[in-house]
Amino acid sequence: MAKVVLQPLTRVEGHGRVELYLDEGRLQAVRLALVESPRLFEKLVVGRAAVEVPDLVCRICAICSAVHKLAALTALEQAMAIEVPPQARQVRELLLLGGHLQSHALHLFCLILPDFTGRTSLLELLRENDELARAGLELKAFGNRLQEVAGGRVIHPVNPVLGGVMRAPSAAELQALRCEVATWLRRWPAIAARFAETARYPEAAAVVGTPLSTGGGLGFALAGERLYLPGGDSRRAGEYAELLGEQAVAHSRAKQATGADGPFLVGALARLTLLAGRTPGYAGPGRGEGIHGNNAAQLWEIGWALRQVSALLDALAAAPAGAALRTAASAVQPGCGTALFEAPRGLLVHHYVVDDWGQVAVADIVTPTAINQRAMERQLHADLAGIASEAELRLAAEKIVRAYDPCISCAVHVLQC
Amino acid sequence: MAALTLAFARYTSCSGCQLMLVNCEEQLAALAGMVDCHGFDLVSSAPGDDLAVAVALVEGSISTPAELEALLALRERAEFLVAVGACALSGGINALAVTGRDEARGTFPPQPVRRFVRVDWDIPGCPPERSDFLALLAALPRGGWPGRLECAVCMECRIRENRCLLLEDRLPCLGPVTRSGCLARCPSVGVICEGCRGEVAEAHRDEVFRLLAERGLAVREVRRRLERFRGGSHG
Repeated sequence: MAKVVLQPLTRVEGHGRVELYLDEGRLQAVRLALVESPRLFEKLVVGRAAVEVPDLVCRICAICSAVHKLAALTALEQAMAIEVPPQARQVRELLLLGGHLQSHALHLFCLILPDFTGRTSLLELLRENDELARAGLELKAFGNRLQEVAGGRVIHPVNPVLGGVMRAPSAAELQALRCEVATWLRRWPAIAARFAETARYPEAAAVVGTPLSTGGGLGFALAGERLYLPGGDSRRAGEYAELLGEQAVAHSRAKQATGADGPFLVGALARLTLLAGRTPGYAGPGRGEGIHGNNAAQLWEIGWALRQVSALLDALAAAPAGAALRTAASAVQPGCGTALFEAPRGLLVHHYVVDDWGQVAVADIVTPTAINQRAMERQLHADLAGIASEAELRLAAEKIVRAYDPCISCAVHVLQC
Repeated sequence: MAALTLAFARYTSCSGCQLMLVNCEEQLAALAGMVDCHGFDLVSSAPGDDLAVAVALVEGSISTPAELEALLALRERAEFLVAVGACALSGGINALAVTGRDEARGTFPPQPVRRFVRVDWDIPGCPPERSDFLALLAALPRGGWPGRLECAVCMECRIRENRCLLLEDRLPCLGPVTRSGCLARCPSVGVICEGCRGEVAEAHRDEVFRLLAERGLAVREVRRRLERFRGGSHG
């Protein structure tokens, strides 16, 4: 059997490898290996003070550092019964939306866009003075500005702390951001339309995997208390482990979520599929677009996030000065907490048990790409089945992997010791 | 001016250092005009992983034989090698978890890159500062290194007239022993310095240890805080 190996995978976050096994030109099997070096975050936080843990685990991934930090804080606050003041929640939400915007803009305009015109990188597009690439970078910068104001810095934010946040944006910062978001709300529809026109996706097979998200059932939000499945089915947060059925596999450094009824799909496409018919302006995945519809879903989410940011900035500007921003630490309380968040690439679960001394006794972190892994393998198989030429296979396989916007450095820390 | 040939490799890390370069949104168009990438997988699919480059940027610590091999090959083809970020400089957060060899997985405790190859320049931080990338990429084609004044983060806090978190608020801030260059980013939003840029030259560790212990931290906690960006217990 011939083996075609794609490594490195480019224009995705992290180190991965796709292995295609061919027999007389026919695709027999597909393997996706996430080959990052193990970083063992769940081991390193055990025995450490809970207050220190969010600073450590946000280092799992840079692109998703804001949502990792907030998920860790939320789970630990739940475990230790710490209330977060309302205004602090708003500042955190602003950070989350900023991260969402920056991540989607990075994926669509910096990593995917070169594929539409056969370019190898964003840098080539910039040399050609490509208008879409430039607009996308400006949007990305806006997402980063939100993260910087709400989080203190763009990567590994420091402003959110156990019990709340250290500071609220100043009146001047809010004013500047409100002007900027107003401009973006005007500019975005034309940019989105231009992106949709430029987008060229290969003919694709039907989407593989059961959509899974949090937040979706309560309207659209990036955090939630339940896990939503198709057909109105839902589960409590605490049931995540049972539902996902994670297993270690020999060929990958990340555990795979197997699920009782086949693989799960998380991310923008899963979020919007679960909201079918309730998302104004979202037409659903295009005919024959398959998994590439995840890009269209991300495009819709950018418009949604901009509207949310605008409303949130208005609310923050109207908030009374001097409102409480964090709850003072009280006596240590043991307990366990599970936080469900929607990272840009899909469902993120942080689960901790805190002991009598305020130290983390158990940590479990399930990331979107770890959940998507199994679906990605099957999707690759379904999409590539009819392709015979090796060059075409390579090109098509990379595009399918890219469509998931995988975050591989996120995915592999889940390996247990 | 001829294009600056560049590779940006990443080993055991979070991609934050590479992302920070892509976060220079306003300067990327200008950078695209002066840089040729031969191996920057996050951004470019252009081949060139085996070509000689003027500068190789390295993110991440080294924790597998494959990474070590790749690092040595990168050093071979690079005129200058720059270690970027806490993981490359000290092992970073990764070094806190892994303390022994793992024969089954073929890994060893995360090591800083200078343990294996000559490092010509460094860009510290977790994450690094955009300005450090830009200063370097501007200076290199002109045949030099950027100038920098190294002092403790405390100096930058003084310049910004921040309230002292260590002395006035009695919080365990690592500003006195940490390399400057971030313009005291965290203390300026009221958050203590966690020391992500690594230790400043001639750091007065004993004094800071005493000050932190006086703030009510247990000795073990003080050690842990000082150790976070020093490569765990192997630094």
